[in-house]
Amino acid sequence: VKFVDEFRDAALGRAVSGEILSLVEPGRHYKVMEVCGGHTHSIYKYGVDDLLPANVELVHGPGCPVCVIPMGRVDDGIAIAEIPGVIFTCFGDMMRVPGSNGSLLDAKAAGADVRMVYSPLDALRIAKQNPDREVVFFAIGFETTAPSTALTLKRARAEGVGNFSCICSHVTIVPPLRALLESPDLRLDGFIGPGHVATVVGARPFEFIPADYGKPVVVAGFEPLDILQSIAMILRQLAEGRCEVENQYRRVVPYEGNLRALEVLAEVFELRPHFEWRGLGFISDSGLKLSQAYADLDAELRFSVPGVRVADPKACQCGEVLKGVIKPWECKVFGTACTPERPIGTCMVSSEGACAAYYNFGRFAREREVV
Amino acid sequence: MTIVLLDEHRALALCADADGERHTVETALLEKAAVGEQLLVHAGVAIASLAREVAA
Repeated sequence: VKFVDEFRDAALGRAVSGEILSLVEPGRHYKVMEVCGGHTHSIYKYGVDDLLPANVELVHGPGCPVCVIPMGRVDDGIAIAEIPGVIFTCFGDMMRVPGSNGSLLDAKAAGADVRMVYSPLDALRIAKQNPDREVVFFAIGFETTAPSTALTLKRARAEGVGNFSCICSHVTIVPPLRALLESPDLRLDGFIGPGHVATVVGARPFEFIPADYGKPVVVAGFEPLDILQSIAMILRQLAEGRCEVENQYRRVVPYEGNLRALEVLAEVFELRPHFEWRGLGFISDSGLKLSQAYADLDAELRFSVPGVRVADPKACQCGEVLKGVIKPWECKVFGTACTPERPIGTCMVSSEGACAAYYNFGRFAREREVV
Repeated sequence: MTIVLLDEHRALALCADADGERHTVETALLEKAAVGEQLLVHAGVAIASLAREVAA
């Protein structure tokens, strides 16, 4: 398959791995954060970390859209789903995220009409097919997914679909990165930038990382060679004393992003003053809500929601995993009480979650060759 | 996904994924689209087309 096979070439992978080895300074420990959950998934699916020297450590970032949703937001969704007459729609992963009293899947089992969709446009279609029912879409995701929600809301408005609304939990990637960089818990040497988010926002929003914090960023694609090459590019910047944003994913990402998508986002959404992230707490200007022009399609205004902050279960260490402070296997309940079949924390729910990636691909702590 | 058929008036495309399965994709966020072009699709919406000079 074009754009896939050539980025999974084993011989090229070994060659880039050799290049990485040549760029590593003996005795120095490098910590590189892959921001996006899609990268985490690819790294463990393809064993990319096995091609790295032991002193190049990959740290998993907060870029899994399901993982960062706090329990209180799940409770808000369930409260709406349980209203008689409502058809509640969401992505499949979201159905399994635990709230304080179960998940949306549990609510469905108890009689709520909760339906899985692949796109918000599917939810709009359900609304048109059921004009006597209220149809609510649980919108989650970063800037990659938000344009899809925005276009759907524009279509709903244009087609006069009055029984459709959206509970908006979209988030933006830059504020949590800044929060991580301000965190005293974490020392990072560079970032693998989120390729799909950058498709929409471009590479420019990441310029603050080298400018304000002196760390290199390489926006990367999601195939094994993309990730290996981006690590080599970060290490080369460090070796040459450079610090800038580079774009490894040029076949998809324009440096300025998708201007049409940005225009639609600006029309339909506005920033919330604060939004709660699982494990990271409240972060200013990091969540999106519907703009005044689309407020009539806001499910949080149309229905009553609890809006209560709920603490994570004590046993769950998703917060530390999301901040890159611990590895998934270091969590007390990893693989025992918390598994993909019966997740306690969000990181075990989504395939992009670090815990699920480790669990599904059998990647546990082990020794690697130290350079 | 690869564009099989375009409905420019409604900004929709019929696309085939790697397994040949067909999906309707919203193309309103692309400046232009053409049959045979490969798209990056997220939640039913094309957010980018793969660089033409690379795709050629």
